[in-house]
Order: sequence, then structure tokens, then C-alpha cells
Amino acid sequence: MDTTAALRTEHLSKRFGTTLAVDGLDLTVPAGEVFGFLGPNGAGKSTTIRMLLGLLRPTGGAAWIFGDRADDVQRAHRHLAYVPADVALWPTLTGQECLDLLAGVGPGTDLAYRDELVGRFALEPDRRAGTYSTGNRQKVALVAAFATRAPLLVLDEPTSGLDPLMEREFRRCIAEAADRGQTVFLSSHQLAEVDAVCTRVGILRRGRLVEVAGLAELRRLRRSEVVVDLARPAPELRRLAELPGVADVREVSDLRLTLALTGPPGPVLGALAEADVVRIDVREPSLEEIFLDYYGEVPA
Amino acid sequence: MTATTTRRPPRAPAAGAGGSPGRLVTGIAVRQVRRGTLVVTLLAGLLPAFVAIQYRSTFEGTIGPASLAALADNPAIRTLFGPAVALDDAGGFTVWRLGTVLGVLVGVWAALTGTRTTRAEEEAGRWDLLLGGRLSLPTVVRRHLGVLLVAAALPGAALAVGLLLAGTAALGAVLFGAALAGIGMTGAALGVLAAQLAPERRTASGMAVAVLLTGLLMRMVGDGVPALAWLHWFSPFGLLGRVEPYAGDRPLPVLVLLAMVAVAGSGAVVMAGGRDVGRGRLAARDTGRRASRLLRSLPGLAVHRMRRPVLAWGAGLGAYFLLIGLLATSMIDFLRENRAFADMAAQAGFAQLGSVQGYVAALFALLAVPLGAFAATRIAATAADERAGRLSLLYASPVGRVRWVLTETAAGAGAVLLLAAIAGLATWAGAAWVGAGLGPGEALAGALSVVPVALLCLGAALAALGWAPSAVLGLGVLPAAGGYLLLVLADSFRWPAWVGDLSPFTHLAAVPAEPWDVAGAVVMMALAAVLAAAGLTRYGSRDLRG
Ligand SMILES: Nc1ncnc2c1ncn2[C@@H]1O[C@H](COP(=O)(O)OP(=O)(O)OP(=O)(O)O)[C@@H](O)[C@H]1O
Ligand SMILES: [Mg+2]
Repeated sequence: MDTTAALRTEHLSKRFGTTLAVDGLDLTVPAGEVFGFLGPNGAGKSTTIRMLLGLLRPTGGAAWIFGDRADDVQRAHRHLAYVPADVALWPTLTGQECLDLLAGVGPGTDLAYRDELVGRFALEPDRRAGTYSTGNRQKVALVAAFATRAPLLVLDEPTSGLDPLMEREFRRCIAEAADRGQTVFLSSHQLAEVDAVCTRVGILRRGRLVEVAGLAELRRLRRSEVVVDLARPAPELRRLAELPGVADVREVSDLRLTLALTGPPGPVLGALAEADVVRIDVREPSLEEIFLDYYGEVPA
Repeated sequence: MTATTTRRPPRAPAAGAGGSPGRLVTGIAVRQVRRGTLVVTLLAGLLPAFVAIQYRSTFEGTIGPASLAALADNPAIRTLFGPAVALDDAGGFTVWRLGTVLGVLVGVWAALTGTRTTRAEEEAGRWDLLLGGRLSLPTVVRRHLGVLLVAAALPGAALAVGLLLAGTAALGAVLFGAALAGIGMTGAALGVLAAQLAPERRTASGMAVAVLLTGLLMRMVGDGVPALAWLHWFSPFGLLGRVEPYAGDRPLPVLVLLAMVAVAGSGAVVMAGGRDVGRGRLAARDTGRRASRLLRSLPGLAVHRMRRPVLAWGAGLGAYFLLIGLLATSMIDFLRENRAFADMAAQAGFAQLGSVQGYVAALFALLAVPLGAFAATRIAATAADERAGRLSLLYASPVGRVRWVLTETAAGAGAVLLLAAIAGLATWAGAAWVGAGLGPGEALAGALSVVPVALLCLGAALAALGWAPSAVLGLGVLPAAGGYLLLVLADSFRWPAWVGDLSPFTHLAAVPAEPWDVAGAVVMMALAAVLAAAGLTRYGSRDLRG
């Protein structure tokens, strides 16, 4: 067994009545990685995370945290800290008391770093949790999680309630965690954030993992949009459509051609060499376009 | 006019497709209360009718007028059981036997339902959606209050119908029913009023129930101390006594009850106006408290969560049992002089009332009900934490679920012991004041002897937490409240022995008049342990809700 993986699942499945929320998930996140866990609403991200934490019992398969079975929480949870999508705190406790409690029962906390984080996230720790806004409740959980030295941080949409300033602080904290060698498992709908902090992403659709790839690789795999401007009309370029990896060849005008290209550009460039090309513009797709492609894709 | 080209904002239709939004709110409220209302209404309709019918076949004609006069005159009897004014009548006996019990049951149920349908919904943020529409907060509160008042009046109506069908006097049945309806409506209105004041459901429920039970205490004091009899007019239970169904048949106290409902209800609607949604009128201080040192470990958290409830329940139980102690001598003297009632009390489940030890033992049996209810509320609080998602962060730490619930259970069991000791010492203090001859050790032993029933409740609540987490409170109280009712009925009507044996109370000895029933206590605790183990096993392996 690969005990160096921060997190590993094998055929992990969860059924709620007739809904198959997670369907045979096989996933390995090596230690030290910042992993983005993406997918449309209801894809099964939170369900997966709650199974990783032992809050939900898988109907099939199993998960391991640094080699400890996820359902053995006393051992597995010594390796992790968690920020839920919806942070609920005891309303009569103050923020400080919540932090103290989580530090007291948690996997070990760096109290000096925690106090620094309280300042950086502009948290007012002597207010009662019942008076906190959604974002402030989230900050309590974030401060508690980042202040632990747990080797794995499991974050479920941790920034959905944060303002841009706090969002920036959050990204810094992720970078600091990564520098310390902590592994981050981040579920998020904020694609810019994922783009900025993650090294690898997994995309979940309807409970199934449809892609796991590094961000650079993902870009490479996906098609880019090529715009060709010509000095004079070249009808023979219609043959481009027959080349491998080429799709959507359109003549916008007599002198402009667009096409979508997947894979190496060699054959297309070869074909274009015969024509009188003024300008070629190759545009990489934004991450957003890539994800939207995946989210909307009909499963085979 | 030349402004014909000005764009006008689209106008909203007068009413939504599914009826007016107000009706929609009423529908939501009805859906939330209908199941509980059905259960309580059935109980209030059937139980008294049943008691009245059984009375005819058991007691009719066994009590002479002289005894009755003595009973009605004795302040101790009145204090504990309410005024006994028409025991020679099936209806009157039913009022005496069940009036207070049903009043407390219906009143507390209505108050808890009131806070559950208003404050709990608001606390969970579900009213934000409702109020995002065209409805104002006072409108939503008023709609809920209307539904709750009707629901709380239904048990009273059912009671009147049941007693009419059982053949008791019409006026008495109607007035008894009206008084019970009034108590229920007072409870409901108090619940909604408290929901406007307190920002959390638990605080609101505590406030409403505390006011109701203070009313019960006022009734008792008013009955026990003639100079304070006017307290009745401020207590729903005192007013029920003043109605004297089947004897005096006075309607005026019912009107006073309705006035109470009007005051509490309009108070609730007024308080709802101009208040922030999601907050209460009595906003707690939101900053400035020094962080508690308790909150650094699981046991500390459990103790921290237990402090306030223990204070509140301890104050209530202490006051009640102090009164019990103070009444000891007058009660015993009365029963020594009136053997007929001692026999009757024995049949109603109060044996050996002739000595101070027997007397306090009988009342310590009652203590098992609030202790069991307390135990159940503690586990219900854990279930509520789970539902609200407050345990996710805790359980994401290296904290096993079973470990946390066991910690809370231990704290709860400790609190039960503490409350029992408070009740015992309060009884001793009262009895010592009037020189009744009850030792502190005896009082403590008597109060502690009922703890196994409370532990059984704790076990049942844990089983429910594992298997039926939405019914923790109901199933948790069942061994105490249901068992008590079962025993009283079985004793009163000489049901077969095995029926009574199902009740845990059958297996409690009358400590300090008798030695402990060790076997009974061991069996109950073993049963509690089995229930707890089953519940915890399931709790550790099921999906966490919320
Ligand atoms: N307790 C439950 N009972 C029944 N169905 C559930 C339960 N929890 C989740 N589901 C279903 O499982 C599926 C996955 O839900 P999940 O919360 O994991 O989605 P998600 O990917 O986190 O979505 P989002 O991005 O909206 O947070 C959904 O179809 C949801 O309806
Ligand atoms: Mg989610």
C-alpha cells in the first residue's frame, strides 16, 4: 500500500436512497500537492469530503488518510484539519472560545501563528459566534485549520463567503501551507482561485471522476482556437477539416478562417504554408472555458 | 399628460398563483403542528373519559361527605393535588386526578411547539426566505400564533367532548375543557412571546416553560397558604382550580385565562414589530466576555454546556421540593386522621403516606419524571447540535463520535445526580423547618433512589440518538413520563399486575420508608446500559446528519 499518499480512495461510493451521489471514486493525492476538486453543483464533492472525514459512511469502497483508514477517525484525523462548506458554531461561544476548543481537541496548533492569522483575517475573536456573519464564521474555521500543523488540509468551498481582500489572504495562506509541505485538498467553485493555487485538479461529474490532471497538462489537452488572416482567398484551405485534431473550420470572411485545434499544430502549419497567410493567432482557452467544457459534457 | 412614454416598472400581480402569501404561511404552520396536536388531542380526549368511566366502576359512593369536607379543607392536599371539591362525582374526581397533569402536559407542549415553529425556524434561517417576499415579520408571527392558538385549544375541546360522552355533567365538562384550552393557549402564546424575546430556541423554550411552571408553583402556594390565595388569579393552573368544574362551575376564571392569552399573544405580535429578523428583543451581549478556560477539552465543553441548564432545573426542583418539605407535617397529620384517604391515596400510587418517610418517598417518585426529562433534553441537545451541523468541526478533529457522546452522557448523568441531591436537600431543609423529623441522609437517599429511572431515560435517549435521531426527546422521556402514567392508571384501576410491572416505578422502593430495591435498580441500570450501547454503536456507524 502506498502510505506516502496524503489521501487515497478506492472505489469510493455513496448512495442516498435512489441517488448515487459518488460512484466508484478512485483518487490519489500525493503528499505536498495542492489539489483542486471541481465539479458542478450536486456533483458529489461535499459528499466525498464528508466520507473522507468519516462523517458519512461509504456504501462501497474505502478511503485512507496518510495510510490510516478514514473511518478510524482517532488516527486519521491526527493528520488533517477541515473547513466545512457551511460553518456552524455554538452561538453562545465567542470566536476565541471556538478557536481554543478546536485547538484543544485538534491535531496540534501553532498558537503564535494562530494569533497572527486572527490579525491577518481581521477576525474579532471576542464576539459571540451567534453574531458572526457567514464570512466571519468561515474565517474562524479557516484560522483554526491553517493554524494546525496537520499535514493535510481539507477545504470545502472555504472562500464562498470571503471578500476579495480575505480571498487574497486565503491564497497567501495556501501558499504558506504548501511551502511548509502541507497537502491541500480544495473544493471550490472559484476557478480563478483554483487556477492561482492548485497544481493539479480533479473534475467530478455526477459522482464520477471525469478528469484528473495538472493544470498545464489540462490546458495542453484542450483545444485552442486558431484564427488565420489571409492576403487573398484560399478555398483549398477547406481541406484543413480533414486533418487530425482539427474541428469547427469556419470561413468568417473570404480572408479570415477560424478553427479549433487539439494536439500538435504541425500538420495545420504545414497546410497553411501553401497559402498566403498574413497573421496567425493561437488563443489558449481560459481555465473557465475548459471547466465549462467538462461540466457541460455529456458522459459517454 | 405627456409622460406616456415613461417606462413603468412591471407591477406584481395582486396574489401569487398558489393563494395569498399569508395563507401559505398558515399552511406552513399547520403542517408543523398537526402531528403533535393529533397525539395530544387524542390523549386529552381519551384519558379523562377513560378515568371517569373507570371511576364509576371503582370508587362511586365510597367516600362520605365528612371525609370530603376534610379533604377539601386540608391545605397540604390542596397544595399537592389541587383543590378536591367534587370527589363524589366521576367528573370531579377526574378533574382532581388529571387536571393538573393534563394542564402541565398541554401547557408545556403548546409552549414548546410555539418556540419550535417560530424561533427554531427563524434561528435556522428559514424565515429569511419567507420574509424575502411581501410578508412582514409581525404578519408571519401573527399567522403562526393563530394556528398555534387553535392547535392548543383542540385538546381542551377533545377533553370536553370525551367527558360529555362519558356521561359527566355538561356544564362541568365544557368548563373543564375551556380551562384546559385556556391553559394550552396561554402556553402557546407564552411560547411565541418568548420567541420574540430570546434569540435562541432553547432559551425561549426555557423562558416559556419556566413561566408556566412558576404558575404551577403559584397555584401550589396559593392553595397551601390561604393568605396568598389571590395568587391563583395570576396562574393558569390556579384559575383551573377556581373554575371548580362539576362543583362551583364558575366561568369567570376562564375569562381571566382568555385575557391572559390575549395579553401574551398581543405582546408577542407587538414585540415582533420593528425587531430584526434572526435576533431577539433581549439580545445577549455580543462581546466582552473573557474566554472560558473550560473550553479547551471535551470534558470542559460538556461541563460548560451543562452549567446553565443545571442552574435552571436546580432552581425549579429546589423550590418545588422545599415546598414539599414544608408541607410534610400538615400532610401527615391529615392522613393519620383520615384513613379513607390514606387508602385512596395508596390506590392512586401513594402508599405509606402516614409517615414523613412514606410521604417524601411518594413525592420522590415524582422526582424521577423531571430528572428523566432533564436527561432526555441533554441528549436531545446533542441531536440538535448534529442537525445544525455544529458537530462537523468537532468530529473532524481526532474525536470519535462515541467518545464525545459518552462525555456528554457522563456530564448528564452527573448533573442528574446533582439535581437529585438538590431536591433531596431542599426537601430536608423544608421538613427540618417545620420539624417533621426527616434526616438529611434519609432525604438524600430517597431522592437518589429514583436516579435509575432517569438513567433509563438517558439510555432510551441514546438509543433514539442512534436509531431515531429526530425523536430523542419523546423517546427519552417515555420511561419516566409514560411509566409514571402507566403505574398510576394500573394502580387506580387494579389492572393486571404485569401491566404495572412494565413501569419502572413498580421497581422503585419507597426510600426512605423502605430499603433500596437493589435488584430493581440493577435491572434498570443494566437495561439503560444495553439501550445506551445499542444506540452508541449505531451512532458511531451511521451517517452524520446536517
Ligand atoms: N443527506 C443526503 N440525502 C440525500 N441526498 C443527498 C444527501 N446529501 C447529498 N445528497 C445528494 O448527493 C448529491 C451530491 O451532493 P453534494 O453535496 O456532494 O454535491 P456538491 O458537489 O458538494 O455540490 P455543491 O457544489 O452544490 O456543494 C446531490 O445530488 C445531493 O442531492
Ligand atoms: Mg458542496
